[in-house]
Amino acid sequence: MLTWVALLALALFSGATFFAARRKALASVGGRPVGLHSLPGYYGGYVAIWVAIPAALVLLAAAGFGGRLEAGLLRATPAPSVQALDAQQRDVFFDDAVSLSEGRQASESVYEGALKSALDSAVARARHLKSQITYGALASALALACAGAGFAFPRIRPDFRARNRVEGWIAGLFILCSVTAVLTTVGIVGSLIWESWRFFQSVSPIDFLFGMDWDPQIAMRADQYASSGAFGAVPLFIGTFLIMIIAMLVAAPVGLFSAIYLSEYASPLARAVVKPLLEILAGVPTVVYGFFAALTVGPLFREFFNGIGALLIGGGLDGLGQYLSQVQNQMALVAGAVMGVMLIPFVSSLSDDIINAVPQSLRDGSLAMGATRSETVKKVVLPAALPGIMAALLLAVSRAVGETMIVTMAAGLQAKATINPLDTVTTVTVQIVTLLTGDQEFDSPKTLAAFGLGLTLFAVTLTLNIIALRIVQKYREQYD
Amino acid sequence: MIHQSDEGPGPATPGDAIKIRARGINVFYGAKQALFDVSLDVPEKSVTALIGPSGCGKSTFLRCINRMNDTIAGTRVEGRVELDGEDVNDRSIDPVVLRARVGMVFQKPNPFPKTIYENVAYGPRIHGIATTKPELDAIVEKSLKRAGLWSEVADRLQQPGTGLSGGQQQRLVIARAIAVSPEVILMDEPCSALDPIATARIEELIDELRNQYCIVIVTHSMAQAARVSQKTAFFHMGKLVEAGATGDIFTNPRDGRTQDYITGRFG
Ligand SMILES: Nc1ncnc2c1ncn2[C@@H]1O[C@H](COP(=O)(O)OP(=O)(O)OP(=O)(O)O)[C@@H](O)[C@H]1O
Ligand SMILES: [Mg+2]
Repeated sequence: MLTWVALLALALFSGATFFAARRKALASVGGRPVGLHSLPGYYGGYVAIWVAIPAALVLLAAAGFGGRLEAGLLRATPAPSVQALDAQQRDVFFDDAVSLSEGRQASESVYEGALKSALDSAVARARHLKSQITYGALASALALACAGAGFAFPRIRPDFRARNRVEGWIAGLFILCSVTAVLTTVGIVGSLIWESWRFFQSVSPIDFLFGMDWDPQIAMRADQYASSGAFGAVPLFIGTFLIMIIAMLVAAPVGLFSAIYLSEYASPLARAVVKPLLEILAGVPTVVYGFFAALTVGPLFREFFNGIGALLIGGGLDGLGQYLSQVQNQMALVAGAVMGVMLIPFVSSLSDDIINAVPQSLRDGSLAMGATRSETVKKVVLPAALPGIMAALLLAVSRAVGETMIVTMAAGLQAKATINPLDTVTTVTVQIVTLLTGDQEFDSPKTLAAFGLGLTLFAVTLTLNIIALRIVQKYREQYD
Repeated sequence: MIHQSDEGPGPATPGDAIKIRARGINVFYGAKQALFDVSLDVPEKSVTALIGPSGCGKSTFLRCINRMNDTIAGTRVEGRVELDGEDVNDRSIDPVVLRARVGMVFQKPNPFPKTIYENVAYGPRIHGIATTKPELDAIVEKSLKRAGLWSEVADRLQQPGTGLSGGQQQRLVIARAIAVSPEVILMDEPCSALDPIATARIEELIDELRNQYCIVIVTHSMAQAARVSQKTAFFHMGKLVEAGATGDIFTNPRDGRTQDYITGRFG
């Protein structure tokens, strides 16, 4: 709270220095901005930055790391009675001290005698430390703000290159943001690799990648895991692949043809209507597609196949009839078809962009040769756009492989190595969800298997995306 | 208003038949009128040059002949354009068939992203002109030879046409256009993207093609118009100011605006 007030005050102060500095810059050239190296605002900005940024960093650091500093200092001087506790009890003791000092609920531990008085003094000390840290931060922020002003203000002279300095700060800000993004990614990938490595300590990668049996067990007792459970992921890969193929069979032709219609045939009016509609389709949350698949499409398909099965029973195809009449709601076909619908706008808007990037001169050239519109599309526009369209389809594949919600709700949970679209299958993403939902120990192979699956998935989608982007890039170069 | 030197809208060189007869052409892009009552005769087996300042409607007029204006949304064409006495805007005329008879070469070479061979074979294939591979090969070779490109590409027919130089690409699209044996070839500033050497080759080519085809060429170069054409038409602000034998237009223009333009005083 205090930090926010301080930040607000700092913002006001730095705003004030902005105007003061601008005024000073203008005054230094007698009010004619042409005499200045930079526009007056840059001088204001320069001083305001020096006032605000170092002080703000101190305040934010205190808010972010003050708690840790406090805890660290508190632990550095334990009372003798606390020293006698074991490590775990000591942790609880100090956590309680901090909680009590902030007026929060402590744990249920009971402290008596020497411990009780140690706790009281620790609470008092925690309060003291906290206020020291807070006011220390405020004081140094104030000092830094004044120092910043004191440093920057005198440098305002007509020939001072304020603009370049401000540019430098802004460039620094951008670099900071991109570094953050890159570091986060590296961190995520790093933890993925690290946890997978731990997983592969207990399950061999060969068994994992080529094993036909997927049956991760819940560890009941400490001595039980590692030996129990089968982690052969091939059934998951097959399930993922099957659903992806079904989805692409729906999304590729429909998405592509609607893109061709939109870019080559649609009147401006039709385009104005259809495009937003497709974009709405793209905006539907996948969980909505998921329950649409589970509650509407699934039963519909089941009834359909059951109906056909009923017709066939007793006839020459009796076996097939028996099978069809027992088909369940959950099947690869349902999940794949609904996922395909989800991908249609994705494929169509990417392909639409790519087809539009084919230069008009090629169409004119073909039409002027006496080709019809559809010949032009078939023989000139599509071949020219083909690499880009392939890339769009690859991106769609990578989305299909990573899609979770629809398959979780509509494909089933049984890991079967089947390519029968009417069967229930399960996918990599679904298994990650089931492995990690609920209370789990985070070091059993069962939970670690999720990281193994995640890493595999990541490797596949990354490869697909890289290939796709390469193709798109090449394609762009061709027409630039 | 319109001065026609010599024998009015008649043929430039006496004895030549008229291939294209345009009468009272008005073209509107939406509400904007780009051509005003243009009437022009284009003689058979000769080169007719369209000149005039930028934006005066030369390309628009050219596109009326093969109905490429149809492909631009919101365009309206009024008047009559006759090809061998038939109105090209008539309901019974299929623009696709018309464009097979009237080929077009654009300002910027636009080879398809296909092989050199496939570029030239494109028209014969879609119009079913060649049925067998040897026939097609023969057409491709003949067209490339006539476009003066054969010797340069004979050994690389299977390479992409987009990999050729600008001048080669322009000859490639000319070969593509003549591969379907059109009766008329429309060229919209075919040399504007080319260096003088490539330009000279294209001009030579135009000169040869003149013996077989009716050629209409838009150009910004007075010298080029004088070199390659037998008839010249001068457009100004959407109107046809003057048309006649090239020699007459350049030595003895009737209209002051023509005079100003060809002597470089405006445009
Ligand atoms: N597609 C179009 N939509 C709207 N107006 C157009 C279109 N094409 C041409 N125009 C207008 O019609 C007029 C004639 O254009 P046109 O392209 O025929 O000129 P041009 O003589 O070929 O010029 P240039 O020598 O620069 O090629 C111009 O004013 C132009 O702005
Ligand atoms: Mg033009």
